[in-house]
Amino acid sequence: MSILLNGETRVLVQGITGRVGQAQTKWMLEYGTNIVAGVTPGKGGEEVEGVPVYNSVAQAVAERGAEASVFFVPPAAVRDAALETIDAGVSLIVVVTEHVPVHDAMEIKARAAKRGTLLLGPTSPGIITPGEAKMGIMPGNMFQPGRIGVISRSGTLAYEICVDLAAAGLGQSTAVGMGADPAPFTSLSELLRLFDADPGTDLVITVGEVGGTQEENAARFITDHMKKTVVAYVAGHSVPEGKRMGHTGAIVQGEMGTTRSKISAFQKAGVDVAMYPVDVVKLVSKKLG
Amino acid sequence: MRLYEFEAADLFRQEGIPVPDFVVVDSPGEARKAAEKIGFPVVVKAQVLTGGRGLAGGVQTADSPQQTEEIAGQILKSAIKGLPVDKIMVVKKADATREFYLGVTIDGVAGSPIVIMSTAGGVAIEETARTHPETIVSNQVPILSGLSMSEAEKMTRKAGLDDAESSRIAAILHKLYNAFRKYDATIAEINPLVYTAKGDYLALDAKMDIDDSALFRHPELKISAEDRVASPLEKKGRQIGVTYVELDGEVGIISTGAGLGMATMDIVGQRYRPANFLETGGGISEELLYRVMELVLQKKGLKAVFINLLGGINPIHEGAQGIVRFLKEHPPDIPIFARVMGNRQEETRQTLREGGVEVVTDVATEKCMEHLFRRLEKTR
Repeated sequence: MSILLNGETRVLVQGITGRVGQAQTKWMLEYGTNIVAGVTPGKGGEEVEGVPVYNSVAQAVAERGAEASVFFVPPAAVRDAALETIDAGVSLIVVVTEHVPVHDAMEIKARAAKRGTLLLGPTSPGIITPGEAKMGIMPGNMFQPGRIGVISRSGTLAYEICVDLAAAGLGQSTAVGMGADPAPFTSLSELLRLFDADPGTDLVITVGEVGGTQEENAARFITDHMKKTVVAYVAGHSVPEGKRMGHTGAIVQGEMGTTRSKISAFQKAGVDVAMYPVDVVKLVSKKLG
Repeated sequence: MRLYEFEAADLFRQEGIPVPDFVVVDSPGEARKAAEKIGFPVVVKAQVLTGGRGLAGGVQTADSPQQTEEIAGQILKSAIKGLPVDKIMVVKKADATREFYLGVTIDGVAGSPIVIMSTAGGVAIEETARTHPETIVSNQVPILSGLSMSEAEKMTRKAGLDDAESSRIAAILHKLYNAFRKYDATIAEINPLVYTAKGDYLALDAKMDIDDSALFRHPELKISAEDRVASPLEKKGRQIGVTYVELDGEVGIISTGAGLGMATMDIVGQRYRPANFLETGGGISEELLYRVMELVLQKKGLKAVFINLLGGINPIHEGAQGIVRFLKEHPPDIPIFARVMGNRQEETRQTLREGGVEVVTDVATEKCMEHLFRRLEKTR
């Protein structure tokens, strides 16, 4: 079992004819993802890796039944492409694109809320249900099937944690990249709720970092609603105030966004917190007995 | 990216928010002339991209041409939190009888703008928020419809203002929200907005952060994010297309991702201090990693470098060749360690080993870092 994505999900790739779109389409197909169509305006009728390309999302939905979409679209084009995709009735959208203007992200989120669309990103590494399918750029060989849910703001940290888990014989039900921007489309709490309801998941790991208040908010959700065990890791306790560490959301301003505030919120919610990546595996093994 | 106060004040004025008369100058003589034109008393304000300048002596009142020249000279020679002052703002001093706080920012969890106001504005606003939260009114704004005048007025009434005051401040709040939207701001703030003895409202400070990712659609601001980077090494990082943050330690860090880079910094910090943060992003090439090595090794006082390569989207085998080419041309006098995982890891490790890099093959970054720690202990 898994959340949001499995081997049957009918996947659309937007920006499929670009350099990254083509390369990643090949990797996703090789992994087993059921890619049914691609969209690049003006390139309708072409094929990429045997996948038919359409001019519009509405066409891809009507002719190929696409139900989920992954974006390799340039940042300035993401807003319009996302609104088109939401309106075409696609239910899951993964935005891999970095540097999407945050006002555009907020507009997209507001429109998605009206239609009930779930989005991941911006700056999401994607989502992977190991052994079945992946949407995005996560390298398949760093994940393995299992019963742990993983939610990460960062792509590379998700890989780091999952290779450590694999070395200890622990696999994932689904690993989700929520994205590293200041206003992600879907909050950490909402993703925790999905894993809590998934019969294929026994425990959830949240991989966070400095900046924002996602973790503090999630700690309240865990206290009030979560039934399953959560283990947390928060990167960046050595990050000085006012310095932005690559991710646009990763910045400490005063007490806001510090690892201290996140760790203390998690601890109050009874969540064990790892200070370093290797400690995650130790805490998980202990919890699973 | 943070705007200078005078830039934000200019934008506020264009949007119809009342700001006091001001002139921006870069010499004491010009400051004197500006003050004579504006009329005394004036306030001389250092233009630096950091908070806390009042406490650091960067904001002072002058009552005469002579005093203006003295204060301006003193502020222009100073540095505030390490930042040299190149420009000062000379502003007409206002007689404030009341101080308010107005701000618009982003609620990252809700994913929407949030408007905040308080009847207790001024330097201690953060302290006030903690000790008297009842004086703060905030409201999430549905971004598709915006902040209407009636919503703004609901807020000002909730803050306890009477009819006349409520609608005048609501009008300013409405304009501030529109400026926030128009310029893709992540923060737009007036602290304080004052009510003067003459019965006017004036924005005595102006703060705006613009989203770097949206600068492409604001040519009217005539600024590039690159110009606002203080350190020459950080500027060079931007030029070659990586994120480099200069720190004050002795172990250089190169990482293929931001999250991994932060975790690597934390791990270095167990025994040593990171000299920098560097993440390559997803566009690794031979040439890029050649330049990355050149950049990281320019930092003074390095004792070792740790390279953390996770090959997902990135062709790390090509990057390895750039690393090795640089080291061949510029043999280092410090150890270079690399940890390599992911697509084409064996080929990448082989290239690096042949080029003199110490490749560590444990799975976890922590285990790999121990090799570097042990080496540095030995050479102490």
